Order: sequence, then structure tokens, then C-alpha cells
Amino acid sequence: MSPILEAREVTKRYRLGAGDVEAVRGVSLAVEPGELVAFMGPSGSGKSTLLHLLGGLDQPTSGDVVLDGALISRLSDDAATKLRREKTGFVFQFFNLLPLLSVWENVALPFTIAGEDARHGDQAAAIRAALASVDLAGKERNRPDQLSAGEQQRVALARALVRRPALLLADEPTGNLDFATGTEILDRLWRSCHEGGQTVVLVTHDAKAAAYADRVFVLHDGSIRDEIQLGRREDHGAAPLIARLASLGL
Amino acid sequence: MRALNALARRTLVARPLRSVLTIVGIALGVGVLVAALVLNAGLDAAAEQSAHDQLGRADLRVAAFLESGLSPASVTAMTTTPGVAVVAPELDQRTYPAPNPLAGSGLPVPVTVVGVDPEPDAALHDRPLAGGSPLPADGGNVALVSDALARANGLVVGGTITLNGSAESGPRTFRVSGILAPVPDDPDPAGRSIVVPLQAAQALFSTDAVDLVDLGLARGTSVTSVTAELERRLSVEPYTLTTPDELVARLRAATADFRITIALVAALALFGGAFLIFNTLAMTVAERARDVGLLRAAGMTRRQVTLLVLISAVHLGVAGVALGLAAGVGLAAAVTALGSPGGGALALRELVIPPGGLVLGALLGFGVTVAAALEPALRAARISPVEALTARLDQTTVLRARIRWLSLVFAVVGVAGIALWPSTASGSTGILRPLGVFALMLGVALASPFLVGPLGALVGAVTRPFLPTEERLNRSALTRDRSRTALTVGGLAVALAVLVALGGVAATTRQAAIAWLTDVVPGDALLTAVRPDALDEPQLADLAAGPGVARLSPIGMFAVAVGGLRLDAAAVVGADLLADGRLPLAAGDRATALPALDAGGSVILPASISDRLGIPLGGLLQVLAGRQTVALRVVGIASRTIPGTSGESVLVGWSDATQRLGALGAQYFAVRYVPGQAAAAAAALEPLARADALELAPLQAVEGSIGASVDRLFALLTALALVALIVAGLGIVNTLSMNVLERVRELGFLRAAGLTRRQARRLVMLEAAVLGAVGAIIGVVAGVVAGVILAALGPGIGVAYDPGWWTIALALVGGVGLAVVASAWPAHLAARIEMVRALAHE
Repeated sequence: MSPILEAREVTKRYRLGAGDVEAVRGVSLAVEPGELVAFMGPSGSGKSTLLHLLGGLDQPTSGDVVLDGALISRLSDDAATKLRREKTGFVFQFFNLLPLLSVWENVALPFTIAGEDARHGDQAAAIRAALASVDLAGKERNRPDQLSAGEQQRVALARALVRRPALLLADEPTGNLDFATGTEILDRLWRSCHEGGQTVVLVTHDAKAAAYADRVFVLHDGSIRDEIQLGRREDHGAAPLIARLASLGL
Repeated sequence: MRALNALARRTLVARPLRSVLTIVGIALGVGVLVAALVLNAGLDAAAEQSAHDQLGRADLRVAAFLESGLSPASVTAMTTTPGVAVVAPELDQRTYPAPNPLAGSGLPVPVTVVGVDPEPDAALHDRPLAGGSPLPADGGNVALVSDALARANGLVVGGTITLNGSAESGPRTFRVSGILAPVPDDPDPAGRSIVVPLQAAQALFSTDAVDLVDLGLARGTSVTSVTAELERRLSVEPYTLTTPDELVARLRAATADFRITIALVAALALFGGAFLIFNTLAMTVAERARDVGLLRAAGMTRRQVTLLVLISAVHLGVAGVALGLAAGVGLAAAVTALGSPGGGALALRELVIPPGGLVLGALLGFGVTVAAALEPALRAARISPVEALTARLDQTTVLRARIRWLSLVFAVVGVAGIALWPSTASGSTGILRPLGVFALMLGVALASPFLVGPLGALVGAVTRPFLPTEERLNRSALTRDRSRTALTVGGLAVALAVLVALGGVAATTRQAAIAWLTDVVPGDALLTAVRPDALDEPQLADLAAGPGVARLSPIGMFAVAVGGLRLDAAAVVGADLLADGRLPLAAGDRATALPALDAGGSVILPASISDRLGIPLGGLLQVLAGRQTVALRVVGIASRTIPGTSGESVLVGWSDATQRLGALGAQYFAVRYVPGQAAAAAAALEPLARADALELAPLQAVEGSIGASVDRLFALLTALALVALIVAGLGIVNTLSMNVLERVRELGFLRAAGLTRRQARRLVMLEAAVLGAVGAIIGVVAGVVAGVILAALGPGIGVAYDPGWWTIALALVGGVGLAVVASAWPAHLAARIEMVRALAHE
């Protein structure tokens, strides 16, 4: 089976003052369909930048990113946008809900952007199902500011899942949540991978979150320092990962 | 203070586009204000200069009331009046020169002959020469010709010019002794004047009368005492007395309406500028609420926070006012260079920059800027550190505060309006018009916050079928910050309302200016004479008998005195009007009223004069004719009649006009062609008319000429109003840019989720279009109401208000178009948002 996501010698360089800074240095990796992978590393290690490059939000300075067989890093902005619209869903640390739209309208955004009417038919059913899957049925008319932080992140998750994209990209999805709420989100992400067959790429600095992954890439100074194979596990225990990280001196 | 100053400056520099837009907004507002003040000063100076040019060093002017002029007995009476030192009589007549060898085969262009007594004339009037010598004291057939006439006809000193005189005198030839230097107030409308000795002029036109006499008083003599003595002595024929001060006042009054409108437009442009300033500072405060909270947490006092915002305003104000002063003077210079804004009543001659006006403009500009900054400054001071770092500001409180602020700014702009109020404008309806419009605009500004939501939804529903995605994503954008949106919409609506009101008033004025032609003139064309033609002249019978001419109806314009007032009068043939179906009456029976005019002893009044004098149908109009009073029965009241020099004319029959009221003849002849023969008849009539020194013009050409002069006047006012629209456009750029900046994160996410750059751009442009459409709808409705107010409270013009449908259509399209154009930069910003940075944006 060919990987759904692949990075080939990806480098991202930024100008900073008179010189350049390499946020990502020659990273190569491949993610198989249905896999849950996590990027870990200290602040400034390049994990979020790598996620942005993999999701087509940013263009690498050199190297290629292949998403579901398409060289997204070489597509025009419009083509990359449309590919992203079809194949990916994003979850961010700060939820990024549109404050003036209701819960329903926020979850419907991927359909709205694609020019589909989300008020009826399959789209409406998909929205209802997505909201039910994150336990938000009955809150469709609420505005984001009427929800708790955990509920807001669940709305963001429902929005990412509603079109059942092949690839879910989550950047610190639990960074703004308490432990219990964070766990709910991670459980839901894991289920979408384990039961729904979706691929999940997770960026986190939290070993407990990373422990949900099948594989963990440890980043340092923009490069992959280590790759830790955890395998698919129902218990999500963090002990093996923590032990391995400790052995690496992290 | 120095630290606050530096911080304020850095705040402005951090948002260069917004700061520049605001400075330009202030500059345009102040610019129109200053331009209005400079134009007012220029018009005042022009009035004084014009009065001086006309009267020279004379202390009094006695002008004939009737066309028959002032008799030698009257001139003698003036000469012997105690205290009168110089008596300078003058005869002004229009005539045609003999065919000009330089011109084509058409009718020669008429000239104005000015007959003067050289010696006393030189004592009172300067007639500077470009060449040659002045008129000799002993008279003779010599002439000074104007520079324009000399150039047009190839005249040189020592050459000759032949002028057509009366039937008795025939043509006479004059030797050119000098060329007059160009002067702004040439007696001839085209600058084609000829000054000749009085006796020669009287011989040319076979008269011993004069049109006016300028008097120089002996040193130490009062005008009042001489006036009293003249009133006792001059009893042969009616006359008017004018002092230089009265002439200046009259000339100023002639431009009062124009200046009122300029003042109104300037005040509203300044108000538009105030919208922009307020919006900018309010945005800055909202954007920097967190910074303000941190500064407060770090120990900055509320007073320091207030000062910080006010200092920012002062920085913007200094730059905007300086730019505005220069722009205002430039605008006024451009208008002055273009000529006559007073609709021909008075031409601007030179740029007069009143220092007081500049100071006033600067002070008002600062006043509005500081008033606009007060609410955001006080709001910033009230931000608590906790609020700044957590909650959003309560929108209802903000809206209420902004409505209070609007009232304050209106008060400041009201002061501006009073400062600009022309000193010569008087009368309750005169002041009611701008006050009514100003109150309406305040209403528009205050109502905008409540209209934006429903109207936005309505416009959104219209755009939904075309741009469903953008419409759905944009649905709540207008209500994101309702007060900010309302201010932007309000600014646009006010500017568009002014344009629509001006368009409506222009269309109505145009209609009123030409409606009399179709209502009153019983013909397809007009023949115009340079001086009154007596009705018994044989050539008129030849013209009436011309091929294809059904009727030739004479119209004579003159003046009558009624109860100490000068009224314009027109002599008409009632039977012609009746046969032609002209002159609909508002009161009275046409079938009996029009024949009654021809029978004599009757008059038809325009409604405006009937109302003004309080004379109803069946009443008597007492007209002073020489030493006796003529009573004319009012047999009809017409909605409109023929316009004279100072209002509509009373209509009388020819028998009364010539036998009892002193009219000499007709200046116009309405020509009705036989149906279907108009073209051939006109072709045949033209050479006949030319031979009789009459100019033929189709009625449509006359309408076009009148309409064009109305259009010229309103074009200038519209240009000033467009400045207010530009200010509104800057406000839209500002608001949309702020909306984009506030939504950076949101737009970043939408882009991440698959929104294309084109969609992002369309999102902002749609927001702008909806905003523009809402502003245009409010502006058009307010503009029509404002136009009705201006028309209703103005002088009666006797036509239904025409809202100016083209202007309305243009305002609707232009409002949306302006908003969309103004959204180009914010839309570009939205389309170019870098997703990664946007998502990291707090």
C-alpha cells in the first residue's frame, strides 16, 4: 500500500534579520493510511512547521510533500487549496471557531466553503452525525462563546471530521484543555483512526497525548532525531513512550 | 508627556495605511471647509470690486425705471441739486455693427454702445486704455472700443466702425480713438462694448434720454440729504437710487443660495471626515485594548491613557489640517480659475485667502478631530486590565456611547455651518433649508446602527443566489461591530444623500428653468431682438407673412413699480396664448382671462407674486405709471410665467403695456410654424429675420442653453459633494481593513479548510458591496427627502419635485461600486493572508 502522506527531504528556511533560520531540515518520512503518528519535541523544534508543510498550509523551501499521490508542495495555490479541502481536516490548539456562526454553521463550514448546501440531505446528516460523535447533539444553535473550552474543541473536531477526510492534522489539540477534556478529544481522534480508518498526524509536546500514536517522531532542531514505534494499543499508556524518551535524554 | 507622545506616534506608525487614510480624510473635510471660506471671501471681494467697477467713484446712481429712460429735465434737476458736484449721464443700448469683414455670413454679433459725457465721466470712472487716446471733451463720432471687439473685428486706433442706429438715424460711422483695456465688468456680456460721446449715442438711437446718471457729491455732503432732495425734485419719470453699499449688498445676495449650498456641502464633508477619524481611533483603541490593559496594569493612570489617545488624534489632526489647508486653497484656486460659480450672477475674479478663514478652518478641523477622539479616549481610559485581557467590550454600551458622540460631533459641525453661513443670507426659509437638511443627516447617522442589520439581511438575500458560499460566510460580518459598520454606512449614506439631494434639486431647477418655455411661449422658435422692436414696424408683418409661419406673437419685457417694489412685467398677446393652448391657469378661466388681457385693464399674476403681494384672483394690482397709478384687475393666476431679471413676470396685454405702462416694444417673437412645415419655414425665415437684426433659435436650443447653465452651476456643487463621497470611500477602506485584521485568524482557518484566495477576496468584496448597498439605500431615501426639503422651503418654482432618477440610479450603482473599489486593498490583504502566521495570530 502506498503511503497517504510522504515527506521527501523537506527543508523550510526563514529569513530572520540578516541571516536564515532552518525550521525544518531535510525531513523524510512516510505515513500509511489509517496510521496515527505524533510529532514530539521541545518548543522551536519545528514540529508545527512540519505539520503545516505536510498539510499544504506552507510551501517547503526544498524537498517535496506528497499527499495521497499528489505533489501538494508543487501545486498552484488554488489546486493545493482544493486538494486540502478534499483530503484533510485540521484541529488547532485555539479551536479557530467563527464566533458569529452557530455550532451547526461552524461544523458545516467545509461544505459551505465547497459550495454545498449543508441544510439538507447527506450533508445535513453528516453534520448531525459529526455532532453526535462528539456529544454535542442539541447544541447546534449555540454560539461558540456559549460553550466551554472542551465543547469548543469538540466542535472544531466535528468540523474536521464532517467530510470524513482521509487525513486529520491536529496541532496541539489538547494544549488549551484540562486533562479530562483533553483525553476526550484524544479518544475521539483515536477512534476516527482506529474505527474510521482515517489517518491522523498529531503534534504535541505532551507524552500522554503522543502515547495514542502508533509511531512517534521526535524532532530536534528541525530534524527527526528519533522514531519510536508504539504500535496500535487500546490502553494508550504513556509509560513505554516516557521510558524511551528518557533513554534519549529528553 | 514626552513618553506618551512617542508612544502615540509609534501607535500611528504601526498602522500606516489607517493613519494615512485618516489624515487624508481630515484633509479632505478641512479642504472643502477652507475652500468654502476662501470662495466666500472671493465672492465678497468680487462683489465689492464689481460695485466699484460699475459705480467708480460715484456716490449715487440714479437709474431709469422705464425703458424710455430719464429725460433731460431729470438730468437738469440732478445737476441743480445742492451737494451734487459731478453729474455723469450714460446711455446704454445694444445694436449690431455693420457686417464684419472678418466674420462669416451670419448675423453680426451685437455690441453694447455706452454713451458718456467725457468730462464728468472721467471724473467718476476709470476707463483704462490699451492704446490710443481717450474721448475728446468736445464729442464727435469717435469711439473707444473694447479689446475683445477690437480683436474680433480687426479694429485699430484710427480705424472706423459702423453701427446700426434707429430707423430715423440709420447707420453711422465712428472713428476709433482708443482701445479699452480688458476689464472684468464690461457692460457687454461678451465684452464687446463701444464707448462714444453721449450726444453721438443719442443721435445714433434718436433719443434725448439717458439710462442712468452717476453722481459725485461735493465734499462734506451726505448721501442722505442729497437723496432726500433728489426724491423731491425727480418727479417726471420713475427711477431707482443706488449707493455703492447697496450695490455690494445686492451683489452678495445674488450668490447667497450658492454660498448656502457650499456651506452645507462643506459641513457635511467635514462630518464625513469626523466619521473617519472616530472610526480610526475607535479601531485603534479596540485593537490595542490588551496593550492598554497591560499599560494600566503596569501603572498608567486613566488620565494618561486618555492623553495617549488624544495625542494620537492631535498628531493626525496636525497632519490632516495642514494638508487640508493647502488642499482647500488649491480647490478654491481651481474653482476661481474656472470662473463663475454664482451661476453667472457674479464671477470670482481673484483668489482671496482670508487669514481668519484659514484659522477658522484649522480650528474647526482640530475641533472635529478632538471631538471625534474624545469618546475613544474616554473609552480607552475606562478599560480595566482584567477586561482588556479577558472579555470583549459590551457592544450595546459602545453603541450608546457612539450615538452620544455623534451628537457632539454634529454640534461642532453645526458651529462650522454657522461660521460658513453667508452674512447676506436672510429670511426664515433661507436658514430653515440647511437646518432641515442637517437635522435629516443627523437622523440618518443616528438611525444607521438600527438599519444596518435588516437592510444587510435584505441585500444579502439578493446576493445569495449568485455567491452562496461567500454570502453564508459573510452573513454576520456587518453586525460583527455594529457601531463601526453603522459609522461607515452612515458616512457613505450622508455623502450619497447630499449627491442625490443635489441631483434632485438640479433636475427640478432645470425643469423649472425651462418649463415656462413650453408653458408660456406660443411657438416652436424664438426670434430675439437686441432692443425693443415697436409692433408697428413694417418688417414684422413681412416676417409674419413668411412661408410656413402660422403666427408671430410678440413678447415685450419691461419693469413696473408696485407699492415701492420693482416687478418684472411681460407684454403678451392673450389671443395667441389662447389659440395655442398655452398658459394653464391655477386660478381663473383661461377662455375669458386671456382675451381680457388684450382688451386692457387686466393682468395675470404668477402664483409666486400673488402669494407675495397677497393679491388674489379678482383683486387689483396698483401699478405706478409716471405720476399716476394704473389699477389692473387680476383675471388669472398662473403656476409660472416668463422669468424676468429678478423673478417671474406679471403678464399684461400690449395695449396696457405700450399705452399706459411705458413699454417700447418686443424683444422676443414666438414663431409658430404651420404643422409639417417647420424645417422649410425656419430656413425661409432665418434670412428675413437676419435682415431685420433678429436672431432665430428653436425652442429646444433655448431650453438646452438654459439647462446647460443650470447644469454648470450644479456641476461645481456636485464636485464638492464628491469630496464627501471620497472621504466615505476612505472610511470603507479603513473599516474593511480593520475587519480583515480582526478576522486574520478566522480567514487563516478558512483558507486552511479549503477557501481559495479568490473566495477570500470575494468574501471581503461582498461584505463591501453589502455595506455599499445598505449605505446607498439609506442615502438615496435620505437624499430624496433632503431634496424635497430644499425644494419645498426654497422659493416657489411651480413644478413638481423631480427626484432626478438618473442621480438615484448613479447613487445606487456608485455607492456599491465605490464600496467594492474601496475593498480592493482589504480584499487583497485577505487573499494574501499567510495561513501559518494567521493561525498563530492572537
